[in-house]
Amino acid sequence: MAAAGLILAGAMLVCAQDAPLDQHSSIGIDLPSDSPVALLKTDVGEIRPTQRGGALIVDLHMALTLRNSSAHHIRGVTLLVLAQEVTPGGKASVAVPSLDVAPGQAFSVRVDLRLLKPLQTGSGPLVKVSLDGVLFENFDFYGPNRLNSRRSMTAWEMEAERDRRHFKTVLAAAGPEGLRHAILESLARQAERPRIDVRVSRGGRAVAAATAPDRMVRFAFLRLPDSPVEPMEGWAEISGNEAREPRIEVRNRSPRPVRYVEIGWLVRDRQGREFLAGSVPAAENDMFLPPGETGRVLQDTALRFSRNAGEPVAIESMTGFVSQVEFADGKVWVPNRTSIENARLLGVLAPSPEEQRLTDMYRTRGINALIEELRKF
Amino acid sequence: MIKHPSEATLALFTGGELGRFARWRVGHHVEECDDCRRQVAGFAKLREEVRDAGEVPELDWNRLAVEMKANIRLGLEAGECVSRRSLPRAVFSLRALAACTSLAALLVVSLLLEQPTPRVEKVNAPDATVIEAASDGIQLKQGEQTLILKNGSARDVNYLATGDTMRARYVDADTGQVTINNVYVP
Repeated sequence: MAAAGLILAGAMLVCAQDAPLDQHSSIGIDLPSDSPVALLKTDVGEIRPTQRGGALIVDLHMALTLRNSSAHHIRGVTLLVLAQEVTPGGKASVAVPSLDVAPGQAFSVRVDLRLLKPLQTGSGPLVKVSLDGVLFENFDFYGPNRLNSRRSMTAWEMEAERDRRHFKTVLAAAGPEGLRHAILESLARQAERPRIDVRVSRGGRAVAAATAPDRMVRFAFLRLPDSPVEPMEGWAEISGNEAREPRIEVRNRSPRPVRYVEIGWLVRDRQGREFLAGSVPAAENDMFLPPGETGRVLQDTALRFSRNAGEPVAIESMTGFVSQVEFADGKVWVPNRTSIENARLLGVLAPSPEEQRLTDMYRTRGINALIEELRKF
Repeated sequence: MIKHPSEATLALFTGGELGRFARWRVGHHVEECDDCRRQVAGFAKLREEVRDAGEVPELDWNRLAVEMKANIRLGLEAGECVSRRSLPRAVFSLRALAACTSLAALLVVSLLLEQPTPRVEKVNAPDATVIEAASDGIQLKQGEQTLILKNGSARDVNYLATGDTMRARYVDADTGQVTINNVYVP
């Protein structure tokens, strides 16, 4: 009798878990009252959790339609996504750079999430979405900037200006055929760019391989002539396919104080293949580099590299280059196109968001749509 | 009079290292003999302890083996020196010989159980937080709890690890907009 009761209770629990969740109580969307973007519509598909073992899987598909309620063109938006009940302290964000949203115009941002959480559910919303920042065409910024989205979006916009200028120059000099040739070259580079899978961990090594003892490996540096910051020396602890605690000493050779530096990180395997492994950013709020001074860029995370679905990439050597600098006044430096080409980085680096968008536009809509797009601004 | 197997044989029997016939013969004896059964149980317990000791990730078995061999050689050489000084015969009593044999057997069994080859050990802290690129997005895993920020129907995704952040960049097939997803390690 008691067993039957238990089975019935279990069945009721499963039924309750399979029932769709209420959209309004599951998702919280928070835009400040003075926000330059207004929420027009939220499309959320049915949220139907499914049980797997002792956990619930919840898929959330959201499309937020926002309207530019400011007087300026919007170039980028970043939304902060929190699921505190599932990953306490964990944060996520969805950013849309390379926009050109005129005042009054609407645009949409999609957020697709999958959450795996214990059966016991709390009472609060599963996911909270809020605005972290909006970047305008004149580089003005609005938002709480909890994720430093101001710097990221400014850097993306500077890269966008750089790459639009490059393709406009090609168009002006060589016409539509020249532009087509440049875009096809970019698409070929993107297809051939060596990829590597990276796993980031904190709170312990990812793997320690007794076959490959720890060793300190020194960074070689690519020096970009126009970089305001110069890398001096750097090291990382390497064990097989894992790199830990990279630390790089840099010197500010510009006349302006610097508050953030990011070092691009290339790794070479034993076969001589070179991959973009990631970047080493300065710790937030931890750097102020007056002109002529040196400082350190370091991270306490461990990165493990693999390719082809798990095949470890044993690290033979590493190369670094300055990929981003933020000055104390909020201005951002990114490498120019010539420096990237001269340093033979073009084939290793991912294209900028704008180059990715423009080449995708050529692929899906053709050369005329691309030319029209380049003539917009 | 019952003839008991030697300690070395019992140790090898415990580790499953004897041949089929010897294993049957010793097994038959162990079933009948309380003393030998106790010794086998002792060896089995020791084996468990050795296996547990093997979980220490930084233990260098090659170095340990070399050190043990060097110590044994040193001990033998020292023994030779001492023997030249005509030590009393009691030093080489049967009891001492049995103790040495036991020690040697333990050494052999230990080395057999723990192959002196380096092993790959997972040493993840149990509560370590990991971010990685999953098949359809970026996955943040904290113990049993997981958040995946998905890439939608993206065709070509660029992933980048930036410090404690994993970034996925793609062109949204529906809107044509570049979308950049970030997941941050807490």
